[in-house]
Amino acid sequence: MSRYLIHRFGQSLVLLILVSLVGFMVLNLAPGGPLSQFALTPGMSQADLERIAAQMGLDRPLPIQYLDWFWRLFVGDWGNSFRDGVPVLEVIGRHLFATLLLMISSTIISVGIGTVVGVMGATRRYSLFDYTATVLAMVALSIPTFWFGLVAIYTFALDLGWLPAGNMYTIGDQSFADYATHLIMPSLVLALVNVAIWSRYMRSAMLDVIDQDFIRTARAKGLPRWRVLYLHVMRNALLPMITLAGLQLPTLLGGALVTETVFTWPGMGRLFLDSLGYQDYPVVMGLLMFSAMLVLVGNLLADILVALADPRVRLE
Amino acid sequence: MTVRKTPFLCLTRRGVMQLGIGAAAAGLLPTIAGQVLAAEPSGQVIVGFSQEPTVFNPHMLHIEVDEGIHWNVFDPLFGVDENGTFFPALAAEVPTVENGGISPDGLNWRVKLRDDVVWHDGTPFTAEDVKYTLELLVDENFRSARRTGHELIRNIEVVSPTEITWEMTEPFAPYPSILAWTFMVPKHALGSAEDPNTAAFNQAPIGTGPFKWVERVAGDYILLEANENYWGEGPHLERLIFKYIPDLTVLYTQFKTGDIDVIALQGITPDHYQEATGLPGKEIVLAPSSAMESISLNMGRPQFQDPAVRQALYLALDKATIIDALYYGLPRPTESYYPQESFYYNKDLPKHEFNIEKANQILDEAGWARGDDGIREKDGVRLSFSNSTTAGNHVREQMQQFVQQSFKEIGAEMTIENLPPAVMWGDYWMLSQWDSVVVGINFTTGPDPDTSDYFKSTGINAQGGSGQNTWQINNPEVDALLEKGGKLFVPEERKEVYDRIQEIMREDLPFLPIFQYANVRGHQEGMEGYNPNVNVRITTWNAKDWKVN
Amino acid sequence: MTIASDGQSVGTAWWRGRALRRFARHRLAVTGTLLIVLLTLACVFGPLLLPYDELHIDLRARFSPPLTGDHYLGTDPLGRDLAARLLMAGRVSLLVGFAAMLLSTLIGVVIGIIAGYRGGWLGNALMRFTDAFLCFPQIFLLLALAAFIKPDPLMITIIIAATSWMEIARIVSAEIRSLRERDFVLAARMAGASHRWIMFRELLPNAIGAIIVAATLTVARAILIEAYISFLGYGIQPPLPSWGNMLNNAQQYLASAPWLAIIPGIAITLAVTSFNFIGDGLRDALDARSDLK
Repeated sequence: MSRYLIHRFGQSLVLLILVSLVGFMVLNLAPGGPLSQFALTPGMSQADLERIAAQMGLDRPLPIQYLDWFWRLFVGDWGNSFRDGVPVLEVIGRHLFATLLLMISSTIISVGIGTVVGVMGATRRYSLFDYTATVLAMVALSIPTFWFGLVAIYTFALDLGWLPAGNMYTIGDQSFADYATHLIMPSLVLALVNVAIWSRYMRSAMLDVIDQDFIRTARAKGLPRWRVLYLHVMRNALLPMITLAGLQLPTLLGGALVTETVFTWPGMGRLFLDSLGYQDYPVVMGLLMFSAMLVLVGNLLADILVALADPRVRLE
Repeated sequence: MTVRKTPFLCLTRRGVMQLGIGAAAAGLLPTIAGQVLAAEPSGQVIVGFSQEPTVFNPHMLHIEVDEGIHWNVFDPLFGVDENGTFFPALAAEVPTVENGGISPDGLNWRVKLRDDVVWHDGTPFTAEDVKYTLELLVDENFRSARRTGHELIRNIEVVSPTEITWEMTEPFAPYPSILAWTFMVPKHALGSAEDPNTAAFNQAPIGTGPFKWVERVAGDYILLEANENYWGEGPHLERLIFKYIPDLTVLYTQFKTGDIDVIALQGITPDHYQEATGLPGKEIVLAPSSAMESISLNMGRPQFQDPAVRQALYLALDKATIIDALYYGLPRPTESYYPQESFYYNKDLPKHEFNIEKANQILDEAGWARGDDGIREKDGVRLSFSNSTTAGNHVREQMQQFVQQSFKEIGAEMTIENLPPAVMWGDYWMLSQWDSVVVGINFTTGPDPDTSDYFKSTGINAQGGSGQNTWQINNPEVDALLEKGGKLFVPEERKEVYDRIQEIMREDLPFLPIFQYANVRGHQEGMEGYNPNVNVRITTWNAKDWKVN
Repeated sequence: MTIASDGQSVGTAWWRGRALRRFARHRLAVTGTLLIVLLTLACVFGPLLLPYDELHIDLRARFSPPLTGDHYLGTDPLGRDLAARLLMAGRVSLLVGFAAMLLSTLIGVVIGIIAGYRGGWLGNALMRFTDAFLCFPQIFLLLALAAFIKPDPLMITIIIAATSWMEIARIVSAEIRSLRERDFVLAARMAGASHRWIMFRELLPNAIGAIIVAATLTVARAILIEAYISFLGYGIQPPLPSWGNMLNNAQQYLASAPWLAIIPGIAITLAVTSFNFIGDGLRDALDARSDLK
């Protein structure tokens, strides 16, 4: 196991370097640059822009810039944002809270509903409920999120006035109730897609288990139906769901981007989009590294969890 | 050396008030007068911005929206109002030739400062701070956003805590306007930092302005609170909040629901204007802006080197329909790049005419013959070009498509290739790599008419110059006129020069002028004190005068 | 987690017989197929039957609601016929969806097969390459690539394909790895077949079920990604319509002219749902275990 972990760790390190190298190249070779947004300032000249670029060290050869960045990263300095000068780790930290809040609440909703719908669909396969759930899940997966979000705002915030139109809190209030009311709409909109995914996966995971021999044996032993269902089937069906959860970890970053935009939620997706838009290299690179680590950790966790839960799987 | 007539004879309300404070300051405690004038600040206003302010050191590279914060946290020596008149701020009076502040040759400056100003942290404001600011602007190690003008300063001398003098190496008429946008920063806070580029000050600025910095939640909002010790009138608001809402549709929606009180910056999109005026409890104000929208043509391209082509394209531009239908009649058509409020605006430029027939005729006569596909051609050059702008501006994209259809009628093929902002305004724009561009440009620094950066042939970056002459305008007469205008100080004399330049631009058409921007600003009913000003770049410039009931 | 791998070694004729019958019994999948056929036909032939072309601007008729005169679905902010634009946009969006699917499947299959069959140094490198791509958030790849190119349908297709081939590569390589040591492969190897023959003639047909399911879902996703790119402001350039840019340009009129958003929204949802149904049906049909029931 520990040899396996060391091996995986080494592999991950190589991957990280690869990702950072490719990301750095793509970012820096793209036309435009972090100073473009200032070109239309009255009195700005190319000479001014070049002077400032030189002061920021952007005129150095790319390999040098990369190595410099990499060395700093290695010693724990992720650099400072070009836009506001704040250290990258701090920038990420500030936005992480907003995203986590949204992600966790929407995951609770979607896992809860998704599991129930999936289990019911699997136990009553091809029933009217199963059909309706399938159709609704498919439709939910197919609706563009920004469209759905805007419709929701128009309905619940503008027409009915039940919920706030966006934002994470009322500035100055920020009580628990305030956070909660602001959370309802974005987390439900975000959960819409995830409910669909979770319920589909749960259904098929349940079906995979239901057909297996030990369930038939349990049934044949005369155990009550609910016991078989909840103690045997569900416990085994949850295994692949753990893997799924691990693999879903990286969607933390971009997954909520649209929802964040529509509901002015100051999270990671928004940060990524803005930083990319302004070509704020240090923040984009920081986010890239962060997300790559999430992917790697997510994969690793998924593998380990499966190995722990299923002794037949050996990690090698 | 006044920029417009004799500003010091027309005392504004603010001017009178400050005289009052000055008199009181001479004898008694200065703060007493201030407290008598200003009632206790109350209430709050949430301003919605579609871009996020991120740069709080006013001398580092920043964009328009950052100035929304700067105006409220900092003060310049003197400011400029909506009529182009300078008013004293941290200076006790605006230096002029008449009051001895500027020598008749424009080379020696003497500025007297108020003695009742304290920074937000309680330290008194003195001439040392002014000296520090002016020196910082040209400091080699500082990433100063703008050096033009400041580079000419030599021998800054602090005469007393309230008096400072300096010399200039040559007369530079635009300098007062540049100073009116130059905010004073504290020596004790910024000067003590190891590196002013990364100083803590840049994220928690300390100014002398009407509002004090409280906090910023990145990606979300910035909170300012009233500066109780403000030297001037106001502020009347207890708290001022700037909220970042990236999507324009969402911004407008939150204005409707009351989540934000003011839509600033670009404001409400023109297609929502009609609906917005009918919203209960909201007031909608049309605020003229100094930016001019144009279709800019790259004169380095063979298609556009022939003046006949540029004239024909202008004739084929249905400006009236664009403004009336697509922009709902909000912006005003214009022939000049100066705002119509400006003293230097040339009213006598020939009026645009929409005439497809005449456009076709001009092109026929110039030898541009239609090919098999209906697109004209001359000497192997097809009358075909791309048109770019920042992607995502819906109304502008509608205009592009409308213009595309009109141009097709005169045998010109225009393809739309919009780009993300960081690409659009990078080398692509600065080094003239485009064919044609739809762009709104603010050509002036405050009320000053100098356009050397834009029109001088030395400003063509693509040809090794440095400036913003991305159209590649190369006209010796314009060069000479700009040279002359920069050294003239009497407004009437200057006007002649800049009138002539406007005529040449209207004739040459390096850009096809469409309209002068009008921003639709909305705020909650009962908010007072909002004052549009074409001489600054942002509508939140005077939040100290805002009141809520 | 690999797609069920048993059963596919049964033979190459998976599309005949049972699988097809199972698919035909999957009501949702059949509905989906019908809808896609109808949509495609409408987009190909529909514009020929309409009185307006999709680029004709008529500002006097702007913002006409549906069923105004000959404008069956109304008009857009420039007075262009929405029905004509919707169908032309359908051509673009469906074409982008299909082309992106083909391209990403091609990339994914080639990489997956080589990685799975060869294994060792090359296979490992290819899979790490795939992993590296998966490490990038999709939005980064989309926007970073968008900065390099002019956004026409071809380029959008390439961008979408370049950001969505990884899953297919993984599925295929897992599939191939599990098949690699089977008898029929060993037999072919002993008979002296070349590696290329074994990879593409022996192994590929056996993995085709999984590939087809993934490909179908890729079409669905590609159509959504096209809309997503438009939302981010880097989509297909005007005046060429696509469902994505129609929907995106309509969001500001959601209150005043809701049909502008509702109509392309329905089109996207319909198309994407249909492809998802088809994918679901195929999965069931190709999964041998569902026979046991």
